Amino acid sequence: MIELRNVSKTYRTGTEAVRDVTLHIKPGEFVSLVGRSGTGKSTVVKMLVAEERPSQGKIILGGWDITRIKIHDIPLLRRQIGVVFQDFKLLPQKTVYENVSFALEVAGYPKKYINEIVPQILTLVGLEDKHHSFPDQLSGGQQQRVSIARALAHRPKILIADEPTGNLDSINTREIVDLLLKINKYKTTVMLVTHNRDVVNSLKKRVITMEDGRIASDRARGRYAL
Amino acid sequence: MFLISSSRILKFSWQHFWRNIWLSLATIMIIVLTLFSLTTLVLINVVADRATSSVKQTIDVSLYFNNETSEEAVTLLQTELEKIEQIENIRYISAEEALGQFKQEHEQDQSIIDTLAEIDQNPFGPTLVINATEVEQYPVIMEKISELKADELAEKIDYEDHQLLISRIDDFTNKIRKFGFIISSIFLIIAVLTVFNTIRVGIYIHRREIAIMRLVGANNWFIRLPFIIEGLLYAFFSCILFWVLIYILMHFFGGQINSFFSEINFNVSTYLSDNMLNIFGFEFIIIAVINMLSAMIAMGRYLRV
Repeated sequence: MIELRNVSKTYRTGTEAVRDVTLHIKPGEFVSLVGRSGTGKSTVVKMLVAEERPSQGKIILGGWDITRIKIHDIPLLRRQIGVVFQDFKLLPQKTVYENVSFALEVAGYPKKYINEIVPQILTLVGLEDKHHSFPDQLSGGQQQRVSIARALAHRPKILIADEPTGNLDSINTREIVDLLLKINKYKTTVMLVTHNRDVVNSLKKRVITMEDGRIASDRARGRYAL
Repeated sequence: MFLISSSRILKFSWQHFWRNIWLSLATIMIIVLTLFSLTTLVLINVVADRATSSVKQTIDVSLYFNNETSEEAVTLLQTELEKIEQIENIRYISAEEALGQFKQEHEQDQSIIDTLAEIDQNPFGPTLVINATEVEQYPVIMEKISELKADELAEKIDYEDHQLLISRIDDFTNKIRKFGFIISSIFLIIAVLTVFNTIRVGIYIHRREIAIMRLVGANNWFIRLPFIIEGLLYAFFSCILFWVLIYILMHFFGGQINSFFSEINFNVSTYLSDNMLNIFGFEFIIIAVINMLSAMIAMGRYLRV
């Protein structure tokens, strides 16, 4: 599903963010990518969504070589990968429903389809009673659920969660992790990028640890080992 | 899919326009000023052409013959003159017509009428009035008249050289045109910078929305087009507002403006209403093109998709 072959990334400033990373994530897997700040985790995420291009190596997603992806193909790629961030990235002037439907509107889906799919997704993330609420009327955990719902709008095969619990308390963190596990049960490949030790240890799933831009360890039922 | 996307792009364009309504209005006002200067430039050109052509219309060469010259001799000369290619037309005025015209022109002057009655015969001879194809051709025609020895047959030749007057008018209007062109160019540059800045601010205000659009896989043109259409909206509303202002201006001050140009037989109100669609189209296209270019430059500089 996700394959990185000897991928390196050096920024124009000369900073080597990622060095010779090779990894393979199978379809339907739940993988935690861990490491301290500045170890290259976010650069890997950026390369997976084609926000950055690798300086060397190859990236293949679901059989599609995106290493030198053309600019007009990037939107198609991003519809196949759902991404959630620590800061939720919601539009404050839009309701929960509108924030999720926005993702489908800008991709050109018809209104009928949007009206059908958005309530289903909001029910999946447990926000069936919050359709008309605005982001600032919700808790941090609920806002992150909206963000996950939006990421799921295109029914992606891969969901990348980049520090999704960074702004949440332990209860909300647990709820979000449970939601990611639930999504993974529906055969969606989930990549959780985090440095939350408790979360990683509780998952008992595959853990890839990055250090200084390289993969330091890759364990099938790993623990946070830094 | 295309229709759905188009309607959403229009919706987003309108949102961009409406959410920064004060900035949009300021931009529109600058474009309206530009339109005023452009329209003034158009009017200067028209007034200059009318002024020059009204002077040119008064120019002719008149050959006056005395009343002893036979009609056959004059007709023969007219036939010879008609062979000159620089002459557009020759009008023959008989002695009777010349007398009739003179009487008509001086009907208020009793002393002249009395004098004519005392003479008791027609003091006028026939006249040939010559018009050239181009005003510049009169010196050539004068030469040819001389070659035909028409100046010997005619009692008097009336030709006033208006070249100096025409060149003065041309010179003056060219200076006004240049001045108008400079002013219009300055306003156009200001309009480009204003639209550029408005789109730039729009990109800044919508940066979060744009980032999310990119994140969820919106096409590049879906992100960019609303800004280009926003530029078109500025052009459209500016042109509408401009013509409303022109209508109000002509409604209240049309009389004074038109009387100012009455000497050259130019009615600004009629000209504007007759040519409204042409001028509107011409100005809308110019403003729309510069707005789209400004929007594209601003996006190229500040919008990463």
